[in-house]
Amino acid sequence: MRLAIPGSSGRSSAAGETQPAPGTGSLGGAGRLVVRVWRKSSVAGLAVYALALGGVLGLASADWATSGGYPFGGVQVGAWTAWPRAGAANSDPYTRAVNARRGEIPLAVGEGLLLTAAVDDQGQALDATCSYRIGGGTPPARAWTLTVAGRGPRDAGQPPLREGFTSTEVLRAADGRFTVVLAPEVQPGNWLPIPRASGPVRLALRLYDTPVAASVGSLDRDSVPAITRLGCAS
Amino acid sequence: MCLVSPRFVYATLIGLVLAGIVHIAAVLAIPALSEKDAVSRARTSESLDHPQPIYTVATGDDPSPPEAWLPIPDPAVAVGVCAYDLADGPMRVSARTGPLSLSLAAHARRGAFYAVTDQAAVRGALDLVILTRAQYDEALADDDENDPSRDVRIVAPDDRGFVVVRVIAGLPSQRPAANAAVQAVSCTTDTAADDPPGKEPGGKPAGR
Repeated sequence: MRLAIPGSSGRSSAAGETQPAPGTGSLGGAGRLVVRVWRKSSVAGLAVYALALGGVLGLASADWATSGGYPFGGVQVGAWTAWPRAGAANSDPYTRAVNARRGEIPLAVGEGLLLTAAVDDQGQALDATCSYRIGGGTPPARAWTLTVAGRGPRDAGQPPLREGFTSTEVLRAADGRFTVVLAPEVQPGNWLPIPRASGPVRLALRLYDTPVAASVGSLDRDSVPAITRLGCAS
Repeated sequence: MCLVSPRFVYATLIGLVLAGIVHIAAVLAIPALSEKDAVSRARTSESLDHPQPIYTVATGDDPSPPEAWLPIPDPAVAVGVCAYDLADGPMRVSARTGPLSLSLAAHARRGAFYAVTDQAAVRGALDLVILTRAQYDEALADDDENDPSRDVRIVAPDDRGFVVVRVIAGLPSQRPAANAAVQAVSCTTDTAADDPPGKEPGGKPAGR
């Protein structure tokens, strides 16, 4: 990238700091040379510079915005983020681009609702070396599944012991509420093993055939499972 | 004090505006240009009469196949897709309800435009017909008033798309049944473009 220095003010601030008075002669000569080269190819050079800047920045930012998860459209409910519009026909262009790049088939509004969590209730990122208690109730749904995944593709090595619980198989307390313990070591009750030794993990709660998919605003903190950190192996 | 020429600043500003335009154009173009998106990948199932399983839940010793292309699939839900091309005729999807909850969703490039679960089934059968606007008008005109069709007719926004079948296995013992339930759905192309006798099979409630 070229920095144009006009002849009249041929002293850039950086050069002025490092080389006080004696350097101005040679710097002025170099500056004049740059200015002369600049003037000669000025219009074409500026056009190429503007086009290159636009192309590179535009493509890089588009790639960045659509390479990970959905950039917009999430509704924060406690530690969870609900994605009600991920599969809708009127979803935003970024969501559509993310779905297209990942080959994802999102849940439609009439089918269910996806909630994800990457942090606990205190706002700390979920980590594979820690154990967590996920408990409480869920919004009304015909069925739900709670699954755990690390970021990125899963390891092909050994099949995981258990990846999640469904609403049918989870053990419940007498009042119908449940507690799942997400931990690296075996736990009594509903134990969800952490799928990897280290790194961030994320939880997904999928509600199937649920009325809340159409009205996510009605969800509040108490209607989704709470995620509490129990402790970490240091 | 001017350290860089105004023309350079001007060129930078133009570059940033161009970057914005390129960004928006690229994001809007990604769904149309992508070759990895679900509509393109589901294309291979167009000639099949049954959903192509894209995620079968693990049963006993059989782990889920690695060719599943859903990024983060639900391990308790079996998923199959039926691609359609409405240029060949309307697409008929018939499902029988069973003990497991089943849902059908019709997707086009812009996203899902229709979804229904087995709770909407009439007498244990769920029949969807996906058609274009012209085919819909034709079907409406051909309707027999004394014997109205029980199909659910859905007008698709595009010619191409796919129908997703999801069956939830609440318990590990239900997993083989969930995989089988996805396969039991039938996706056929109605050849309604023939002369009237050819239309008769299309009017009957489907399922075999």
